[in-house]
Amino acid sequence: MEKIEHTTVSTNGINMHVASIGSGPVILFLHGFPDLWYSWRHQLLSFADLGYRAIAPDLRGYGDSDSPPSHESYTVLHIVGDLVGLLDSLGVDQVLLVGHDWGAIIAWWMCMIRPDRVKALVNMSVEFHPRNPSVKPVEAFKALFGEDYYVCRFQEPGDIEEDFAQVDTKKLINGFFTSHSTRPPCIPKSVFKYLPDPPALPAWFTEQDICFYADKFSQKGYTGGLNYYRALNLSWELTAPWDGLQIKVPVKYIVGDLDPTYHIPGTKEYIHEGGLKKHVPFLQEVVVMEGVGHFLQQEKPNEITDHIYGFFKKF
Amino acid sequence: MEHRKIRGNGVDIHVAIQGPSDGPVVLLIHGFPTLWYSWRHQIPGLAALGYRAVAPDLRGYGDSDAPPEISSYTCFHMVGDLIAIVSALTEDKVFVVGHDWGALIAWYLCLFRPDKVKALVNLSVPFSFGPKDSTVKPLDALRKFYGDDFYMCRFQEAGEIEAEIAEVGVERVVRKILTYRTPRPLILPKDKSFWGPKDETIPLPSWLTEEDVAYYVSKFQEKGYTGGVNYYRNFDLNNELLGPWVGCKIQVPTKFVIGDQDLVYHFPGAKEYIHGPKFKEDVPLLEEPVVMEGVAHFINQEKPQEILQIIVDFISKF
Repeated sequence: MEKIEHTTVSTNGINMHVASIGSGPVILFLHGFPDLWYSWRHQLLSFADLGYRAIAPDLRGYGDSDSPPSHESYTVLHIVGDLVGLLDSLGVDQVLLVGHDWGAIIAWWMCMIRPDRVKALVNMSVEFHPRNPSVKPVEAFKALFGEDYYVCRFQEPGDIEEDFAQVDTKKLINGFFTSHSTRPPCIPKSVFKYLPDPPALPAWFTEQDICFYADKFSQKGYTGGLNYYRALNLSWELTAPWDGLQIKVPVKYIVGDLDPTYHIPGTKEYIHEGGLKKHVPFLQEVVVMEGVGHFLQQEKPNEITDHIYGFFKKF
Repeated sequence: MEHRKIRGNGVDIHVAIQGPSDGPVVLLIHGFPTLWYSWRHQIPGLAALGYRAVAPDLRGYGDSDAPPEISSYTCFHMVGDLIAIVSALTEDKVFVVGHDWGALIAWYLCLFRPDKVKALVNLSVPFSFGPKDSTVKPLDALRKFYGDDFYMCRFQEAGEIEAEIAEVGVERVVRKILTYRTPRPLILPKDKSFWGPKDETIPLPSWLTEEDVAYYVSKFQEKGYTGGVNYYRNFDLNNELLGPWVGCKIQVPTKFVIGDQDLVYHFPGAKEYIHGPKFKEDVPLLEEPVVMEGVAHFINQEKPQEILQIIVDFISKF
């Protein structure tokens, strides 16, 4: 881990903290919520050994990167702008891209608006869905899952931060990362008053890991990451120009069969029966990992490394 | 000529359409402060040659919707509207012709959806107005260069220029702007002296009739100028959102035309950009830029036949 270099890059009006290691073709790893570059610690080391330059930033709003105060600074256009600027500063024309959770959403959009900068994509946990011109995303989630659905509970600035603050930080982080519940995450206020003690840490999530996350999120807070959700409707409004456009980058999609996203009604059919392929015509491989939850790159690091390597070898 | 409303992207957009329904679409995008009407001479000519000419009133103008919030007027909203219009009419790529703000929006359309544009003819506004490094806000740079009375700076405060226009009167404003031929950046001193004394008549050039003026006046009296001015109020936000495209080239075959009396041609750096290597670097498929002698900003109205010919000669190659 000491071999991983940490630098700060000035890009798109922010300072971005970047962890990197190795030399060779560049792989850019994008974390999700509520995560950090650290999510990719195993892959960074493995891919350096495999002859790649592995790069994992703290995205805008997270960790040691800048967090502009307004949620309006967190549209997908802002984040993709940060990453294109990062590639420009590294002198990288085309990158191999890996995304997870919100990082996957950003990766889909990067492929949509700057396909010329992406050689191939391995995306995890969140499929691509085309924009519905008639319904804003937050309203759609509310209609489907109710106002206690986490996306809806994340909307009001300060509200969920107050709920999070009621819970011991390490307990909260353990809850986020190790839950294998497949139900749509609904989090009424009452949940935070009587949060049960989570089970003992699984083998793949150590005390050291929890402390790293607890440390960073105590320092920074969750607002930066929550702002991505608060900018969902705005991102929807601004991405009208790409209605009807397919994602024309070679893609491999991976999800754990215990990931709550995989259990959203309609998702399995969408992924396996051609829905996703209609919008991502160069979708080449789909992998469902048995018994694996949402944070698959940490739960099954070697398998995920193998999956990514097996795909990127072709390019 | 047919007038239709197309709904897409949350707004109703009025379009003037002429030409065979299976003809290749030519999307004509007006600027500030004009309307679909500024293409009145090119539309029938294109239709007669078998093209399907499509000229919208952009969001905020004429018979199209004008959402109230300033934030509804980013270039992403505009391009979203145009994509909705194009998708409603055809699955094929289209030809695009832009003037003034319409040219800027056309550059963005080519950046965002090169898959939709066969070829581009852009008038007056070169790609030097494209996305720049976001550390410098465009409006700060403009204000520093030209001062607070530069027209784009005077447009920033919500309601301010609208109040001035209401006081001066839409008729005078329309006549003064369309007949402006000063080859210098447009300065609007706060004492309203730019518009001239109320009793001063503003004669029309040969290319503009009283009927033309009356059409513009009626539409701008009805709608006001807020919609159009809101485009300028999103300058800084546009640049912030255009981060993903800094340094991105236009990959569409392009023809660029400007009048040598156009105030845009006399922005500092404009001539160097247009005639130097940078324009061609940014737009690799750019044909040699055309500068029309003795022609001012409203080029498609001042030299309608010449502009029609340039458009037709260019798009017939594709």
